[in-house]
Amino acid sequence: MDKNATHHHESHTPPLLQATGLVKTLGAKRVVDNIDLTCQAGEVLGLLGPNGAGKTTTLRMCYGYLRADAGHISIAGHDIATQADKARRLLGVCTQDDTYDNDFTVRGNLEQTGRYYRPRQADLPARIDALLKRFGLAPYAHQKPDTLSGGYKRRLMIARAVVHQPSVVFLDEPTTGLDPQARVAVWELINTLRDEGLAIVLTTHYMDEAARLSDRLQVLQDGRVRAAGLAQDVLGDVVGEHVVLLAARAPETPNALDWFRKRGDKPAQVLANWHIALDAPGLAAFVAAFPSLPYEVRQPNLDDLFLAIAGEDAA
Amino acid sequence: MNPYLPAFQWQSRAVLGRHLRVHMRNWHTVTLPPVCEPLILLLAFGVGLGEQIGDLTWHDKPIDYLHYLGPGILAYTVFMSSFFQSLFAAFIRMHFQKSWEGQLTTQVRLEHVVWGEALWAATLATGYAAVVCVVLAVFGLTGALPLHWGWLPLVFPLLFLGALMFSAFGLFFTAILPSIDHITLPFFLVIMPIGFTSSTYFPLPQTPVLDAVVLLNPLHHLAEGLRWLLLFGELTWHLPASAGLCVVLLLLLVPLDMRLLRKRVFGDR
Repeated sequence: MDKNATHHHESHTPPLLQATGLVKTLGAKRVVDNIDLTCQAGEVLGLLGPNGAGKTTTLRMCYGYLRADAGHISIAGHDIATQADKARRLLGVCTQDDTYDNDFTVRGNLEQTGRYYRPRQADLPARIDALLKRFGLAPYAHQKPDTLSGGYKRRLMIARAVVHQPSVVFLDEPTTGLDPQARVAVWELINTLRDEGLAIVLTTHYMDEAARLSDRLQVLQDGRVRAAGLAQDVLGDVVGEHVVLLAARAPETPNALDWFRKRGDKPAQVLANWHIALDAPGLAAFVAAFPSLPYEVRQPNLDDLFLAIAGEDAA
Repeated sequence: MNPYLPAFQWQSRAVLGRHLRVHMRNWHTVTLPPVCEPLILLLAFGVGLGEQIGDLTWHDKPIDYLHYLGPGILAYTVFMSSFFQSLFAAFIRMHFQKSWEGQLTTQVRLEHVVWGEALWAATLATGYAAVVCVVLAVFGLTGALPLHWGWLPLVFPLLFLGALMFSAFGLFFTAILPSIDHITLPFFLVIMPIGFTSSTYFPLPQTPVLDAVVLLNPLHHLAEGLRWLLLFGELTWHLPASAGLCVVLLLLLVPLDMRLLRKRVFGDR
């Protein structure tokens, strides 16, 4: 999390992405309910939340794929609804599914994507050469995308998203389904895009990914913002200061769980352990109540955040 | 928003260009059907079946079956190719290849994707019609099919307009078909009824009901108009009737396509 100190921007310049009061109803369900988002140049905003929290719908509104029922979205000062062409010229998108064009080669995909933008990217062939080299795609430039491994397909998707040199990039679960090595390679690419000054909005299910890449987090739950800010602040708000781990098979554990539940805590079982988020007074009370019970205490992480939100949803 | 304006915007041309580029890469294989199909039809039906059945009676005139069939095949090619392209190929691109979704994350919007598909289907169908003309010309050179070739340049804009309307019709079904398993339904519900009431392959008997039906069938007017024009050099009311019906149907279908495809693609109102 130390990169928060280096990458977080307390900038007074207007954010490249500014979305306020977003609302979207699909069918009978309000999928997004009054969400605000901002993202500055050189910043990665991580959107987190369980399935159905509204992450992808929020992102799709921000890049103009879906129309917001209410709210306002601007990309570098251009309203996505009323100045669609200008706003869309300044943004790039890597969708959750592979939406490259398999009728073209890897290089052909980048060329064709470039044709979908005006004003045209200056010196597009040279830009494509540079991207192919930088994304490690040069050896596969003349292959069809379907012949690539999952990691290289995602690299192509990200390269397509930036071929026209946008200011804001939306990455919707860019590493889902990749092996660890491929994920790290994609993370490195995302970090270089941040270093170039792009504003990046990222959705992910992987907590380690969110922790490593995001300068700020925004946690969505049931279409609303549950918590927002620096990772540690978000964890403190949603989870608590400490997480106590109890062995599920320990004889005294059921009594301790009853004690926690009476206090209003929400123990969550993960494999062989129970996880209980506590503040400092709660931890002190637990230690006093069960002095002989073995336990571990650690700082909360983003997995605990997901468990906490899932617990709230179940309740 | 005006649903017709995007037809003239650069994004629609970019989508059209994409389809053209993919098609040109496979030109050697994709050109075979438009060349072989009219050739086979003219040989099998025009020459083969024509010898068996002798002359037909068309508007109280005796007419050789091959002569009757030639202009009809030109009209039918435009109809089938544009409908098939905007239904089957567009459905594949929308649903399976996800190339629509890829385009929609750029400066291209849904109205451009729809117009790009329609313009491409119309362009392809008109190109196929040109190939049919070459085949007809080969028959003409042998003396088997004397046509008034000078009228052909006048015909092509009308063929394009008809193809555009039929592609809008195809996109209507692309929007409402639940899955690829239902893709044969429009062929039974649309292609066969329109085709059989179009006077393409045989003259229709004159009954009050059939007369009323064919009056509203743009393919019938196109086939009949082309027949009068190319066989006898006569410009009849069928061609303006076909153009008028195509324009009216286009004006109705395009906004409907946009609305239904918006719902289909975005799950949106």
